[in-house]
Amino acid sequence: MDLGDETLSRREFAKAAVALGGATGLSACLDRLATDPGTATAAAPRGDPDTRPDRQHAWREHVRRDDHGNSLLPRHQVLLYLTLDRDGPPTNADRETVASALATLDRAYAWDHDALLYSVAYSPAYFDRFDADLPASVNLPGPRRLSDFEEPTFDTQDVLVHLASDRPDILLEAEGALVGDTSVANGVAVDARLTDVATVDSRRTGFVGAGLPAANQDAAGVPDSMPVPEASPLFMGFEAGFRGNQATEDYVTIDEGPFAGGTTKAVANLRQRLADWYDEQTFDERVAEMFSPAHAEQGLVEGVGDNLGADSGIDQFIQDVPAQAREAGRVGHAQKAARANRDAEGNVRLLRRHFESTDDIGSDQNVASLHFPSLQRDITAFEEVRRAMNGVDVTQATPAVRQRVNNGILEYIFVRRRGNFLVPPRRHRALPSPRPE
Amino acid sequence: MDRRQFLATGALSALALAGCAGDPSDPTDTATGDPGPGGEDTPTSAPTATLASTVPSPADTATPERPDGIYVQTFRERMSMQGSAESGDYAFALMFTVPHRFWTVTGNEFSTTRIAEADSFHLMAAVWDPETETVLPETGLSVEITRDDALVSQEVIYPMLSQPMGFHYGGNFGLDGDGSYTVTLSVGGTSIRRTGAFAGRFGDPASVEIPLEFTEATREEVATRPFDRGGEPGALRPMDAAFPQAVAPAESTLPGTVRGRATSDDARFVVTTLAESPTGVEAPGPYLAVSVRTRYNGYVLPAMALDATLSRGDETVFEGPLRRTLDPDLGYHYGAAVDDIEPGDELTLSVATVPQVARHEGYETAFREMDDVTVSL
Repeated sequence: MDLGDETLSRREFAKAAVALGGATGLSACLDRLATDPGTATAAAPRGDPDTRPDRQHAWREHVRRDDHGNSLLPRHQVLLYLTLDRDGPPTNADRETVASALATLDRAYAWDHDALLYSVAYSPAYFDRFDADLPASVNLPGPRRLSDFEEPTFDTQDVLVHLASDRPDILLEAEGALVGDTSVANGVAVDARLTDVATVDSRRTGFVGAGLPAANQDAAGVPDSMPVPEASPLFMGFEAGFRGNQATEDYVTIDEGPFAGGTTKAVANLRQRLADWYDEQTFDERVAEMFSPAHAEQGLVEGVGDNLGADSGIDQFIQDVPAQAREAGRVGHAQKAARANRDAEGNVRLLRRHFESTDDIGSDQNVASLHFPSLQRDITAFEEVRRAMNGVDVTQATPAVRQRVNNGILEYIFVRRRGNFLVPPRRHRALPSPRPE
Repeated sequence: MDRRQFLATGALSALALAGCAGDPSDPTDTATGDPGPGGEDTPTSAPTATLASTVPSPADTATPERPDGIYVQTFRERMSMQGSAESGDYAFALMFTVPHRFWTVTGNEFSTTRIAEADSFHLMAAVWDPETETVLPETGLSVEITRDDALVSQEVIYPMLSQPMGFHYGGNFGLDGDGSYTVTLSVGGTSIRRTGAFAGRFGDPASVEIPLEFTEATREEVATRPFDRGGEPGALRPMDAAFPQAVAPAESTLPGTVRGRATSDDARFVVTTLAESPTGVEAPGPYLAVSVRTRYNGYVLPAMALDATLSRGDETVFEGPLRRTLDPDLGYHYGAAVDDIEPGDELTLSVATVPQVARHEGYETAFREMDDVTVSL
């Protein structure tokens, strides 16, 4: 895509600039912003390191909300997977370099969707560099296969940096300060970078929010009929992450031990193949497979599902899911997963923060995909919900529901990558040991 | 895309009518076709077959009058064998033929998948156990097609029945013109019960890459042409293929004691009992197994919900679902451990969900209105 093409819509342009990244993406962004009267060009609000929340995952109070109080995640996001250059555990000098690079961002940008939200997380492979083990208060197994049919490549890089902003220019500038050649970030001089001690192994980008998927649906995996509704925040045509179906940040926070205030993060990347989703299925069939057959029968979902308000209502339909599937000949994605996504008191266990992409990891093709970060106190919670989504019990209850056919949305998604990470509290975010003081 | 018609020139010698010689495993089936087509496969100059053409292929023509039950498909066809590979517990083969119309099944609802203009071919994959040559008829299969490392397509493909091509996983795909492609076939681990030496096998996924050539030469290997006996009761015989077919074991080779047989909408049920349940069945005791196959060709009919009631006089000895099971000796079957079985017991089989296997022409009219059957043991 030619970023100088003035016929690109703002949404196409913004996504393309973030996907391209680097100095070229940033400079194209600034050029376009300078000439586009509809775009904010104001300097980003500066940050105050002393007012930052201790939780790196404290985003909820700092993002936009819709009329129902659902969180609207920052429109543009970047995932940077880095590997430390040194063998063995990092040194104190490495730690100071990382702390300094992150402190630059904290001074440069307010903790806000209009400026920058971000987190730094560490993999089990990173902690394996140390002799000591993680404390029992942190459950961080390595990534593994979670269905009988997926064969993902595991992300075992040391560090995952997740950057998010509603403003692509800020996102790219902040990224440039961490791993590129930005020398001044929003007026703050950059004197240390993550790339002083680590190398970017994989850079992944994405977007979320009404309008962006529709504007960027010219990607492999989305049929030529251009079916993605303008109002949809995601390629599949429905809202997701309703407030009532998400864990709270409090719930997913580790509450004891040295990493109290942190959380765990499972991140998958899924390729999406939506030709049959849109072209072979009716709206009601999509509702049945995304939510539950009862949602379709009772007409509970209008359009992209804004009428659902702050809760998809899925909890009404999670009792005896196999029996519902025997009746309907198919089963809903949300109803399968929700069965395992409630604790004994009915609290939701996972806080999902997924966003769309046209990254095709390993190639430069535009292919519809989904980056799926999920936060939970314990990686096991994610694994249990993901396994429930396989619906193996449902396939055994009725042959109409097969391993991946009529089985929620499994026919349309192909898991390609998976990694598990610990998001430490802010005080330990710079190359922590497994037993930080 | 090179849109061209080509001539059906090769021999179709692998094709013949089943039914004309009867079903060797089925002494009650009399010939339904006539001995006809065995020797008529001479080259023809009629430009009848189309591949990726806007002209409807014979594989998409309507049959004017379809009988109930299996009927001979209205065209003959060939396929192009592209390659095979093994990984883990599995062997795979990759083939293609002209784009096909087929019928998918969800519960008891049928839906027609028509040929789209962009379709280049009907891709077919077979998956089997290389140790026993048992075809795996109920697992998940997905296909990724790349060319020079660029993604061309990726889909979950469906289990299907075709008269000449047998049981396969298939779907119509569009390609980016002539050339060399790489096809990755990925099989999922199955969740159906496995017994005997199959217990503990076929639970993991595996993938293989098989190169695919889509060229004038390979397109010339596939052809269809109308068949004037199409529409009659009967079926084309399985073609000779370099991979095993999902044919149910002949009655004479089934283990245990074959107790009886019945037919419902051209599905044949063969009931056998074993004195002891095979390993992998949790409950002890005698085992009741029902092997279900198509009339004529004897292809396995998988993925039904089948309920059984075993009665002795006024007493119900067993009542419940039979479980979909894969066994090296019984093949794919529906089975349950029962307390005891005696001669004279009445077994009623009731199909709650018809076989969830997509159908090529000639099978879309069968195994869809399946009345209960009763067998005296």
